[in-house]
Amino acid sequence: MSVVEGVLLATIVPLLLLLVKAPTAWDRLLAYNSAANRVTAVLAISSVLSNRAVLLDVAIVYAALSFIGVVALARFMERGEGFR
Amino acid sequence: MIGTILAACGAVLVAVGTFGIVRFRDVYSRLQASGVSDNAGLALVLLGAILHEGWAPTDWTLLFLLLLMLITNPIATHSIAKSAFVQRHTGEDSP
Repeated sequence: MSVVEGVLLATIVPLLLLLVKAPTAWDRLLAYNSAANRVTAVLAISSVLSNRAVLLDVAIVYAALSFIGVVALARFMERGEGFR
Repeated sequence: MIGTILAACGAVLVAVGTFGIVRFRDVYSRLQASGVSDNAGLALVLLGAILHEGWAPTDWTLLFLLLLMLITNPIATHSIAKSAFVQRHTGEDSP
């Protein structure tokens, strides 16, 4: 299970690079969405491995807040007033 | 044991999806790679975390987290795709 955690942490790194140098704003938003999903899964696995139930609540709040942020940014950029 | 196998399958799916996100050209192809692999892979990883070492009381929270991600992840992907499509066809620099 810790190998799975390491693989998930390693896949965050190219997404963060893409978050810096992607061509359009939607690519960056997509990279942020994927990185947030991986962080949620890493928190869940870490809570199972170390028997800390608090990290599960942190994971739920993180997933909900990242979902709200991504949808709000997407709806904001849909109207053409967003940043390129 | 079966939880570890499921989590390993999910990690492989997530790794392949990340490779696709980095290698593809435009935003729709990246959305394809991200949407499919994130949903299936992270659901498999969370299922593996649930089945890890039997049933514990905190697994209800993990099950809720799995349901939350299975519901919100396609909504976020569809929202990004619709945003890119609408902005491309009605925005200022549309062809």
